[in-house]
Amino acid sequence: MVDPHTVQRWLHRAAFVAISALALFIYILPLHVGMGRWPGPDPILAFALAWVLRRPNWIPLWLAAPVFLLCDFMFLRPPGLWAALCVIALEFLRTREATSRDMPFAVEWAMVGGVMLAMAVVYRAVLAVFMVDLTSLGLVISGQISTLIAYPFVVLMSASLLGVRRLTPAEADELRGQA
Amino acid sequence: MARDKNTSDNYVRPIQRLLVGLLVLVFLAVFVLWRIDSPRVERMRSNLVDTVVPSFEWALVPVTKFVGMVEGFQSYQRIYDQNQELRRELRQMTAWKEAALQLEQKNAKLLDLNQVRIDPKYTYVTGVVMADSGSPFRQSVILNVGARDGIMDGWATMDGVGLVGRISGVGDNTARVILLTDSNSRLPVTVQPSGQRAILSGDNSGRPPLEFIESPELVRPGDRVISSGDGGVFPPGLLIGQVALGPDRRLRVALSADYERLDYLRVLRTHEGEKIIDPGALIAGQQPITPFVEGPDGTAEEQTTATQGAGGTDG
Repeated sequence: MVDPHTVQRWLHRAAFVAISALALFIYILPLHVGMGRWPGPDPILAFALAWVLRRPNWIPLWLAAPVFLLCDFMFLRPPGLWAALCVIALEFLRTREATSRDMPFAVEWAMVGGVMLAMAVVYRAVLAVFMVDLTSLGLVISGQISTLIAYPFVVLMSASLLGVRRLTPAEADELRGQA
Repeated sequence: MARDKNTSDNYVRPIQRLLVGLLVLVFLAVFVLWRIDSPRVERMRSNLVDTVVPSFEWALVPVTKFVGMVEGFQSYQRIYDQNQELRRELRQMTAWKEAALQLEQKNAKLLDLNQVRIDPKYTYVTGVVMADSGSPFRQSVILNVGARDGIMDGWATMDGVGLVGRISGVGDNTARVILLTDSNSRLPVTVQPSGQRAILSGDNSGRPPLEFIESPELVRPGDRVISSGDGGVFPPGLLIGQVALGPDRRLRVALSADYERLDYLRVLRTHEGEKIIDPGALIAGQQPITPFVEGPDGTAEEQTTATQGAGGTDG
């Protein structure tokens, strides 16, 4: 007999992959070819960060890391660097999950914003060190800001539609018992 | 919440951190590899795209087509505007086309004026100039054609280009041509394009003056002078020359015929102009009235002829 928690966990893992695939699909739709597009939010990163702060075991590293790397390859970014930063951010937030469990949402949002800012800064710094051609700073900042603005909606959607809510202490104890 | 450090936590967390570190290192290694050997990694990327994108294609194509359809509906407005603009341009173009057609007609008219063709009903007899008058006060030549060839008094004589003079005096084998420059020569002419009537009166000079012009201000040097046919002396429309302004400010005619070299002349056979002498036969008085035959035969016959006539016009 399959444990209902396990089913839920696997369903949400599949949901994360599906959301990532959908985001990838929407971004590579050839709708605005050749137009200097306003960089939209990065929903994959937003979903990953939002979920890891709520259900860390629903989004394991072995699931998220290949998605990040694939996105790096698909979006013609320098491969590996942004994915590595995403992994570091994900793991950093995973360690913070237990302490941020009782935070109000505004603090969590600020924390995510700080992490994203740090990611962007490190990303640009590394690119500059390796003398890769940099895109304009304004576009990068606006992309990060749009991701940050999209973050509350991602959280809301995750909680209402997909049932990704914060762990209650009882659930946390239960999980620890499982793990 | 107190965290109990049990054994699994003690072992799992460092291993997990190690794995994370390893993964990050691998990713950074990929990045460095890309920086070092960009073409190879880019080829890898293109292979990856090659495998990932076609798996989306079943969905990409319909969505793209649908969005394209929506944009197509939006483009109807643009097409409508473009259509209106094209209509406006077309109207302008129609005006231009009208202007071009008018110019073409004008051009054709001018070309027609340039290449004067004599009415083919004027056949001619060509004669050789035998002698001239020998007097400075008489401008005439003798041709070697005469009454034997059917030459009659008053016929016009031309060289290849323009009018030279008229027959005045026909012998059996010779005929005398009074040139336009002769002081006795008077010829009614028309100046084109203004259409002014005038008399070309010879005065023994090489360029006879125009006289009795109705509105001299309408006549300009360079205008064409042709015979007008007034008085029934000459056929109308024969080229004479061009208007030139003489040194005495009189309008003269530079003759088209080459008077320096009068060798062969054509005598135009001018037929008698048709004259209307009949008072008109509007009142039918003298004709006998044939009685109209009534009856089935006559009506039948009339009907058949009518149908035949109709069929003939149709055919």
